Amino acid sequence: MILTIENLIKSFPKKEGVMVAIQDFNLEVKEGEFVCILGPSGCGKTTLLRIIAGLESITSGKLLLKDKPIIGPGSDRGMVFQEFALFPWRSVRKNVEFGLEIKKVPPTERAAISERFIELVGLKGFENYHPNQLSGGMKQRVGIARALANDPALLLMDEPFGALDAQTRNLMQKELLRIWLETQKTVIFITHSVDEACYLADRIVVMTSRPGTIKEIFNVTIPRPRDRASVEFAQLRKTILAELEREVVSAPIARDNSEANV
Amino acid sequence: MDRKSVMKRRLQSIVIIFVSMAIFIVIWWALSIYFDLNYFPPPDVVFEAFFDSFVTPDPNLGITMGQNIEASFARFLEGFALAFVIAIPLGLLMGFMPWVDTFAKPIVELIRPIPPIAWVPFFFVAFGSFWNPVLTVFIGVFFPLLTNVVLGVKSVDPSLLDAARTQGAGRLTLFTKVIMPFSVPYLMTGVTIGMGVGWMCIVAAEWIAAVGGGVGYYILVQQQVGNYPYMFAGMIVIAILGLLTVTLSGYAEKMIRKRMGML
Ligand SMILES: Nc1ncnc2c1ncn2[C@@H]1O[C@H](COP(=O)(O)OP(=O)(O)OP(=O)(O)O)[C@@H](O)[C@H]1O
Ligand SMILES: [Mg+2]
Repeated sequence: MILTIENLIKSFPKKEGVMVAIQDFNLEVKEGEFVCILGPSGCGKTTLLRIIAGLESITSGKLLLKDKPIIGPGSDRGMVFQEFALFPWRSVRKNVEFGLEIKKVPPTERAAISERFIELVGLKGFENYHPNQLSGGMKQRVGIARALANDPALLLMDEPFGALDAQTRNLMQKELLRIWLETQKTVIFITHSVDEACYLADRIVVMTSRPGTIKEIFNVTIPRPRDRASVEFAQLRKTILAELEREVVSAPIARDNSEANV
Repeated sequence: MDRKSVMKRRLQSIVIIFVSMAIFIVIWWALSIYFDLNYFPPPDVVFEAFFDSFVTPDPNLGITMGQNIEASFARFLEGFALAFVIAIPLGLLMGFMPWVDTFAKPIVELIRPIPPIAWVPFFFVAFGSFWNPVLTVFIGVFFPLLTNVVLGVKSVDPSLLDAARTQGAGRLTLFTKVIMPFSVPYLMTGVTIGMGVGWMCIVAAEWIAAVGGGVGYYILVQQQVGNYPYMFAGMIVIAILGLLTVTLSGYAEKMIRKRMGML
C-alpha cells in the first residue's frame, strides 16, 4: 500500500467545542491506482486532501505514506490546485522548476527535467510564457507539470478542472489519463462531477455529508478509453448519482443538526 | 476598443489638457493684472524668471537653479535610500512574523501621525543643516514604504504558500521565493507615494537652513529679498520635479507589475 488511512478523524476548533469535519475515514490506496473522491459540498474532501498533503494536521487516527507517518508537507506528494496557484512572476519553466530549485538540483539537470514535463503536458513552446498569458486549461497543465517535476509518490488533485469550461475539461481529462499512463503515478482526484469520476477512476470513493466518512466505494472495471455513450458507463453513472443524491438530500438535515450549536 | 477609437480618445484628452492649462494661465494672468500686487506677478514675468534662473546664478546664493536642483535632489535621494534600507526589512518582518508586528506597531503608530515637517526643528538642532533635510525626507518616505510592504506581505495569496509548501519549501524559502517577490509591486506603490511626499519634506526642511543651496531654500531667499517672480519660479521647479518623479515611478511600477504578471 502506498497510502494507508486508518480511523482518521479531523475536527476544527469552534467558538464552543469542535466541529467534526471528517470521521472514521479508512482507505488504502495501491501503487499506480487512480482514486476519485466524490461527495456533497462541505463534506471534507478538500480537508482530506490537505491532510494527505501535510498542509493540515490530523486530530486522531493513522496516516501512512509507504508505511511512514505523514507529518508535514513534502515534495513526495505533489498537489494540483483548483485555483491553479501558479507563481505569477515565474515563467512556465520557472514554475515547473520551483521544487527542483528548492532541492538544489543543478541548473542543467533542472532544465532537462522541466523540459521533459513541459513536453509531457503539451506545453512545448510556452516555456517562457507567464501564467497570465495562458488559458485556464494551459495553466492547469503547468500545475500538473509542476507537481510531477518533483517525482512525487502521490499526485493529489483538488477539483483541478473545476474552473474550466466543459470542452476544455473533457480534453484535460483525456490528457490526464495519458499523463497518468505515461508516468504510472498514484492519483487521488477530488471532483464534484460524477461523470468525471466515472471517466477517470479505478475506484470511486463516495463520501457522506458532514462529518465526512466513506459511504461506498465503487470499483470501475470499464476498460479505457471509456465511452461515455456506452451502456455500462451510463449504468455506473446512474448508480453513483442516485447514491450521491440520497446523500445530498439528507445533507440539509444533518447540516442543520451539526450547525445548530454554532 | 479598437485602435482607432483608442487614438481618438487619446487625442481628445490631449486637447482637453491643453484647454485646461490655457484656462489656468488665463485665470492666473487675469487675477494678477486685476490685483496688481508686486508679490503676485503675471505668468509671463514668472516664466521669464524661470528660464533666467537656470542661466544666471542667483546673486544671493551665487548658484544657478540647476545647482539648487542638484543639491535638493541629492538630499532627496539620500533620504529615500535611508528609508528604503530600513522600511523594507522591517516591513517584511512585520508582515511575516506576528510578534515583530505586535512589537513594532505601537511605536510606528505613535510616530506616524507626527507630520514630517514637525520634525524639522528637532533634526536641525540635533543633526545640523546637512542631515536635517535628509532625515525629514526619510521620515516622510518611511511610512508609505513600510505600510505598503506590510500590506504586500499580508496580501500573499495563501494558495501560493500552500503550493510552495507542497513543493518542499521551508519557512525561509517561503519568505525568499514567495513572500518577497509577491510584495515587490506593493513596494513600488509605496515608492510612488513616497516620491510625492519626499518633495514636500525637502522644501520644508530647507527653509530652516541649507548649506549649498536647494530649491526650498531658494524659494525662501527670494521671498526675503522681494524677488517674487523668482520665488514663483522656484515653486514651478518643485512642481515639475514632483510631477516628473511621481510619473516616472508610476510608470516603473506599471512596468514591473506587467513584467511580473501581477496586473
Ligand atoms: N481551516 C478550517 N477551519 C475551520 N473549519 C474548516 C477549515 N477548513 C475547512 N473547514 C470546514 O470543514 C468542512 C469541510 O470543508 P472542505 O473544504 O474540506 O469541504 P469540501 O468537501 O472540499 O467542500 P467543497 O465540495 O465545497 O469543496 C466545512 O464545513 C468547512 O467549513
Ligand atoms: Mg473542496
